Amino acid sequence: MNREELIKKWLDHNLNTEEQIAFEQLEDYSQLIKMDSTLKDFKAPDFITEASYKTLQPQLKSKTTKTDTWLKPLFKIAAILMIGLSVYYYTTTLDTEIHTKIAEQSIIKLPDASSVNLNANSTVIFNESNWNKTRAVKLKGEAFFKVAKGQKFDVITNYGTVSVLGTQFNVKQRGSYFEVTCFEGLVSVAHNGKTVKLKPGNSFKVIDGKQITEGKENILQPLWLEGESSFKSVPLKYVITELENQYKESITTENIDTSRLFTGSFTHNNLDLALKSITIPLNLSYSKSGKSILLKRE
Amino acid sequence: MSQPLHDNICESQLFERLYKKHAKNLHNFLYYKFGEHLNPQDKVQEAFIKLWQNCSKVAPPKAKSFLFTTANNLMLNAVSHQKVVLRYNEKPQKRTTNETPLFVLEEKEYHIKLQKAISNLTEAQRVAFLMNRAEGKRFKEIAELLGISVKGVEKRIYGALKRLREEIDEL
Repeated sequence: MNREELIKKWLDHNLNTEEQIAFEQLEDYSQLIKMDSTLKDFKAPDFITEASYKTLQPQLKSKTTKTDTWLKPLFKIAAILMIGLSVYYYTTTLDTEIHTKIAEQSIIKLPDASSVNLNANSTVIFNESNWNKTRAVKLKGEAFFKVAKGQKFDVITNYGTVSVLGTQFNVKQRGSYFEVTCFEGLVSVAHNGKTVKLKPGNSFKVIDGKQITEGKENILQPLWLEGESSFKSVPLKYVITELENQYKESITTENIDTSRLFTGSFTHNNLDLALKSITIPLNLSYSKSGKSILLKRE
Repeated sequence: MSQPLHDNICESQLFERLYKKHAKNLHNFLYYKFGEHLNPQDKVQEAFIKLWQNCSKVAPPKAKSFLFTTANNLMLNAVSHQKVVLRYNEKPQKRTTNETPLFVLEEKEYHIKLQKAISNLTEAQRVAFLMNRAEGKRFKEIAELLGISVKGVEKRIYGALKRLREEIDEL
């Protein structure tokens, strides 16, 4: 082993015993050792890791808010969840409102097996989350109800409340016209503090504050479900409003007594036919101009 | 293929471990390379702060080279090519000494010679050499720290030794 290799091994602290002896035999051994021991004095000043980390730490802490990157998305998720939950809670406790436009009908399934057929230009409002406690529907316009057996079922209108225990009935409330027709079961109508019980086929009518109870309709469901509106001794003005509900045209009258009673029906699918079925029995004539229709005496 | 446990070092515990592993070596590296007057301790702290600020971009295996490069650059920014003077530690004064005044004087002279010779080494030589002689590090450890081969380390250290010997004999 030559000198250079020995010195290199010594430098690498890698001498074995034999090599150590050989190394000590080198002529400049003492010089090397002298230099080596002196070099130890050139060691870097002690760096105390623990202590210097402590001094560094405060400077890192100021950044920790920045570096807690997992917190930010967590807050975002929490916020979204909160919003979602509150929207969910709000919408579920909110009343459900369903509105039909002119010439539009709709079938609504209520939270139980009950269903509502909503006639044109009508609105029902009910509360889904509260349904198990109170079965109540607010109605504006006309609707036919098929009520599942169960607790009391209320239909609330501006003119009175209709209560049943499970049956089929039609409620119509247009302006100051209020009509309830029972098709099955027993229906009670509360109006002006009085309660009237209706048997199948009977109907209860209030027109302009006058109360009329009449019977016997031998049909299973209201005619409007089949695309026809039928009237029995109803003032003409209510017939016209109903016509306006079923067709998009607006109707004006000229020199006509709109309180005249009308008995009959009109279809929802054919305006001319509908107009004829109203005007001919009453000796009226009609003229169409664009979207408006004028009714007058013949 | 195994996925590395962390893809960044933003976690303070991991960061602390990195600090404990590298801070001392980094400090000594800076000290041997640039000397003392540029305050290597401060540069170490600065480099670690930079690492923390960029913690999301640095993967753990890259942290060491990031630190060394950053600290080195910080030093270079501060350095204005001054000669590196390493202060040797004064030996604790012995109360009772049976050394002759001549010996003490010689000893002192030798120290000064060596100090001069060390400052004449190249940076690369000085860093490797002092890590080896003063710290007692093996070639392999130094090679890892500096990111060079063991052979390269050997060459630097042996070259440094040779040069020191020559200079001291000359003086």
